[in-house]
Amino acid sequence: MITKTLLRAFDGKAIWVVAILIAIAVAVPASNLYLPVGHPLRVPNHFVPLLGKYLTYAMLALALDLVWGYCGILSLGHGAFFAFGGYAMGMYLMRQIGDRGVYANPVLPDFMVFLNYQELPWFWYGFDMFWFAAIMVVLVPGVLAFVFGWFAFRSRVTGVYLSIITQAMTYALLLAFFRNDMGFGGNNGLTDFKDILGAPLQAGSTRAALFAASAIALALSFIVCSAIVRSKLGKVLVAVRDAESRTRFLGYRVDNYKLFAFTASAVIAGIAGALYVPQVGIINPGEFAPANSIEIVIWTAVGGRGTLIGPIVGAVLVNAGKSWFTGVFPEFWLFALGGLFVAVTLFLPKGIVGALAQGWTALKAQRVSAQAEDGSDAAPEPSPAE
Amino acid sequence: MDQNHPPLLYLDGVSVSFDGFKAINNLSLIVQHGELQAIIGPNGAGKTTMMDIITGKTRPDEGEVFFAGDVDLTRLDEAAIAELGIGRKFQKPTVFESHTVWDNLELALKKPRDVFSAWFYHPSKEDVGRLEDILATIRLTERREERAANLSHGQKQWLEIGMLLAQDPKLLLVDEPVAGMTDAETVETAKLLREIAKSRSVVVIEHDMSFIRDLAARVTVLAEGSVLAQGSLDHVSADPRVIESYLGR
Amino acid sequence: MHPTRLISKLLIALALLIAVAPGAFAQDVESLVSALPEGDYSDREKVIFDLAATGDERVAGLLNALGEGDLYVREEDGRVIVGKRSGRNYTLTDALTGEELGTAPSSALEKIRVNNRLRRAVRSAIGQLTLMSPSPSVRLRAARSLLRNADPDSLELLDTALAAETDPQVKTMMETARAGIIVKTDAGIEEKVAAIDLLAARGDREALAMLTGARSSAAPELQPVIERGIAGIERELAMWDGLQNVWYGLSLGSVLLLAAIGLAITFGVMGVINMAHGEIVMLGAYTTFAVQQVIRTSFPGLFDYSLAIALPLAFLVTALVGIAIERGIIRWLYGRPLETLLATWGLSLILQQTVRTIFGPNNREVGNPSWMSGAFDLAGLSITWNRLWIIVFALVVFAVLLAVLNRTPLGLQMRAVTQNRRMASSMGIRTPWVDAMTFGLGSGIAGMAGVALSQIDNVSPNLGQSYIIDSFMVVVFGGVGNLWGTLVGALTLGVANKFLEPYAGAVLAKIFILVFIILFIQRRPRGLFALKGRAVDA
Repeated sequence: MITKTLLRAFDGKAIWVVAILIAIAVAVPASNLYLPVGHPLRVPNHFVPLLGKYLTYAMLALALDLVWGYCGILSLGHGAFFAFGGYAMGMYLMRQIGDRGVYANPVLPDFMVFLNYQELPWFWYGFDMFWFAAIMVVLVPGVLAFVFGWFAFRSRVTGVYLSIITQAMTYALLLAFFRNDMGFGGNNGLTDFKDILGAPLQAGSTRAALFAASAIALALSFIVCSAIVRSKLGKVLVAVRDAESRTRFLGYRVDNYKLFAFTASAVIAGIAGALYVPQVGIINPGEFAPANSIEIVIWTAVGGRGTLIGPIVGAVLVNAGKSWFTGVFPEFWLFALGGLFVAVTLFLPKGIVGALAQGWTALKAQRVSAQAEDGSDAAPEPSPAE
Repeated sequence: MDQNHPPLLYLDGVSVSFDGFKAINNLSLIVQHGELQAIIGPNGAGKTTMMDIITGKTRPDEGEVFFAGDVDLTRLDEAAIAELGIGRKFQKPTVFESHTVWDNLELALKKPRDVFSAWFYHPSKEDVGRLEDILATIRLTERREERAANLSHGQKQWLEIGMLLAQDPKLLLVDEPVAGMTDAETVETAKLLREIAKSRSVVVIEHDMSFIRDLAARVTVLAEGSVLAQGSLDHVSADPRVIESYLGR
Repeated sequence: MHPTRLISKLLIALALLIAVAPGAFAQDVESLVSALPEGDYSDREKVIFDLAATGDERVAGLLNALGEGDLYVREEDGRVIVGKRSGRNYTLTDALTGEELGTAPSSALEKIRVNNRLRRAVRSAIGQLTLMSPSPSVRLRAARSLLRNADPDSLELLDTALAAETDPQVKTMMETARAGIIVKTDAGIEEKVAAIDLLAARGDREALAMLTGARSSAAPELQPVIERGIAGIERELAMWDGLQNVWYGLSLGSVLLLAAIGLAITFGVMGVINMAHGEIVMLGAYTTFAVQQVIRTSFPGLFDYSLAIALPLAFLVTALVGIAIERGIIRWLYGRPLETLLATWGLSLILQQTVRTIFGPNNREVGNPSWMSGAFDLAGLSITWNRLWIIVFALVVFAVLLAVLNRTPLGLQMRAVTQNRRMASSMGIRTPWVDAMTFGLGSGIAGMAGVALSQIDNVSPNLGQSYIIDSFMVVVFGGVGNLWGTLVGALTLGVANKFLEPYAGAVLAKIFILVFIILFIQRRPRGLFALKGRAVDA
């Protein structure tokens, strides 16, 4: 049954997405490592971690789409799960530094020596082992999402209220992680990493491997999400999004479905965070900032929520735009981003992929486009001023 | 209550109020096994609120609600009550608009409702056959791959009834099933409901008197949150209190 | 007591009694001053006391300079002068008259040295001079400084001053100072008990410090009295601390109320999630800055009225911005609250960046008018004027808004549209107009909040971001659609925050409050004052 469910994940266009991601996982590192410098097809060194970063962002947007696009839960705190995964990885990388830090303490990371810690706090135990850190990458965001969701969904906190309390959650965590006595490096966060699994982080081969790992992780997340949304589980999630109480009257425990989607999504976000940190070389409390979490929402919205390809396209496009803007017109980036929020919600509610798909079906069926729009709009009936 | 043959649904002394307004006032009602019962009453008589109470959406302030003898419905939530075998059709047709007709029915089909069963669910031959039967019953076979949003109002009503059938409940609560239907559709609906009532209990809320006459059901009149009269349609429509409550407003 | 000292004290007292005519001693003062550099430290001490005994007002300044080590003798003529270092040279003024005497290099001057004993003598001499000053405020200050030093040598002087004192406030202070001295001396038990009781009755930290200091050296039979006094003071201090916390909490609560009250309209009444709300507050603050800039450059005399000018202007500017936002963006998104949230967030980024481009990224200086600066003591509380005015302002805004909603045609139409848009529309209410006006009102109030917040917070492009989450917390906690809920929510959260701060620190207190609200919303998803009924969850 499970294999059947997994096979279903490759239906239709999904197999192409997976194939393309695997091709990228091979092609980019290979071109960077084996083509001579100056070759027109060679991916330059600094591009590898940058593209790798985009892929982790794409994973994060995919995770958000699972809860927002399919289940109607707009989380404004997904950055927190990403950051938790990142911190778990950062703690491992910190302990890998060993006595190569500025203070050369074999056990304590530099910031702890600086802050006069006498011994390692208990929650840092075990992070010298990769397998332990890897489990934490999954477990910490998963458990946080589970506990948070357990309370929120059982008491039927929905819609805007849920969005606001998820934002409050990540804001509270932001404040907490800024504190030096939390034991996570305060506002400087964790940085100055040396190597991962024994491989130096600055080496081209390590970067290429991290890039490949990101692409494969994205492909795997895509398969999992695809397996979810193409199953009856996915249909229930959409049913919850469109008519929550109707779903309940059919006998589905809506809270459990939401909890499943929320937790699965948090785990994917956590893994994305863990892959992000070694590629950018730092994790700090800024990742918890509410603004970051809202930015994830716009990636997803630009690409097209409620489709699995949309968030990936959106995350890569928006971030590539951001890299370009901040290089060329740094002072205009916020105008562009702000304008994007407004324009997408007003003029492109289904995002790029949604609009393309809509145009495609309209063309194919030779139908009046108005009819197609009428039918595919998933937004609930207008009920202003609830 | 007769302990040997408990009624399917038993409401006694149920009251609920919203901000001081008594929507249901000391309501008592019994639905027998295999019974088709119609509930009528002027606007604000508490018909929909009564359904909310039975299906767990609203908790009564006082009173007892029992299903199949000893299951206390006031302690259960909507999902648990639905799993017990109480299906509900809403006043405003609510189907899952972005799903196809087929998916709507598949979601309603009586199957384990937990997350992982849903994830690894694959329809068996039996399931497919059952859904096709229902499609035929509600006359939507032609439109099975259509999005529910594209159906007409009457078709949505029928789809929702089809979903109720797929749920295979012991008790159906049907809120205004023929609102917005053509006369021909109304007649068909009455036939359908009578057919359904052969194997299970059905409670219908309706305003359309000719439809109720077609149903040939026992009628309960609600007014101001409690039962005003019960009996055949001819019996209750001769009752002066009923006439007054309809006209006296 | 040493006989010569006794005599000198008597002389001082005598001198003070006849100080009514200081002019008679003028010559004397001058010769005493010129005697100051001569002899050893003990001679100098005597001169200091003699100077004090003259009661000449000019002496206080001279003694002060001596205590600070700024008194010099000019080598060429032996004149006593005050020298202030400026660069390489010293700026000179006459020690008594303050006459300016130009500058001189340090080689031309000789410092009049003081040791610690002399410094003490200088302090008490100044105290004596000022204790008998004709000005009550000078006397009060002197009594307070005596209370701090509690120099037993000043006791007789203090008694003399007390006997002549008529001002009740000064008298109380002197009595307390006297009690402070008594507990240090070897006075009789009964006198000491009375003194301890007097100090305990004063009930502030100084009294507490004095009693704690006296405890170690006190006789055994006094110990329980002192203990009782200390316990009493600590109780009283705890109470005042509590009240002070309540005050800080109300102050924070009023800030939250101001920030949230506009949101209570747009979110609470209209159901619109306006993430740019904080930026509208920020625009209000920048309006204040702009008004003050114009006043500073063109009409400096009007500065005290700057806020009165800024208030209506900020209301107007932000209400117009609000109406533009509603007409331009929000009206296309009614019924899609999550999309509204995203679009207005985008708008907030644009507004921030616009302000950053125009006014620069740094904090802008917004001044406090004179009536908003400073503080006063109310019993044991220290109350700053700006905080007080902001509380008053928040409550006034709240009351006016309540009146607008409940007593005006616009308020009636607003409520009608909120409850049943279609019905209101069919009754001839122009619902789009009402929407725009409601949003304008909410935004205008946010702008006025910005004027108030500019008085206590940094005016920077990020001003709004620091308030937006708090504001939403307040509205959600209080219960959406309920103005009273917003009031109670804001004040409760403010006070709770300030009570947590001493135990947990500011950041943890804030985290606790956030976690508390998250949990609270789980328990009561509709807030403190929830509306009930079938319509609500429809």
